[in-house]
Amino acid sequence: MADEFPAGDATTSGTTPATASTSAPSAAVVEAEHQPQKREAAALGIGLAGWLVPGLGHALQKMWGRAIVCFLTVGALVFLAVGMRGNVFSSEGSDAFGMLGYAADLGTGSFYLAAKAMETDGSDIAHAEGDYGTRFLAAAGVLNLLAALHAYEAYRGRKA
Amino acid sequence: MTVIEFRLTHFQSMTLFALIISIAFGFLSRRRTSERVKYIIWSLFLFLLIGVGIGWAMYPFSH
Repeated sequence: MADEFPAGDATTSGTTPATASTSAPSAAVVEAEHQPQKREAAALGIGLAGWLVPGLGHALQKMWGRAIVCFLTVGALVFLAVGMRGNVFSSEGSDAFGMLGYAADLGTGSFYLAAKAMETDGSDIAHAEGDYGTRFLAAAGVLNLLAALHAYEAYRGRKA
Repeated sequence: MTVIEFRLTHFQSMTLFALIISIAFGFLSRRRTSERVKYIIWSLFLFLLIGVGIGWAMYPFSH
């Protein structure tokens, strides 16, 4: 899990050719490197995958540690948020805060649907737990968006 | 009835939040295990310090 580098990134990682060859890039990655448009499209796909399923963007690049941690941390925040009866915003929000909350919640990707499915009693923001739960879910969404952006940038070779 | 239900105090919630976010930030921003551990500990410490600090700063206004 430690010392993770994007697949095929031997130039920025500082690995020797011998170690780099153990995680040789796939034919599709090699081909994409020579075609900027294809590479950009692949990077967007990775970012989208990372958004839909937390950690998938990193898993596709064989950055397993980051993939597992993204999945678990976003999942834990969503699970805690629902357990604390936080507000899971819907698209029917009438004010700006409701819409912003919905946008943040949507950041969790498919976990938003899981939160909706688990939250059968509605929110209870009259208590502190519910208020914390609302923030937990919003933080999970923003964290997942950050992770998806990180996966996107890592594939483009800008960050790892 | 909701599937699960948690009853946490303010401090427990803050600590849990700080721990989860620190771990995520540590893994995303650092590569080496030792760097990650240092980052997570430092980030967690600052989260808690600033959280408790802001709590005490607001204390006079709650009375």
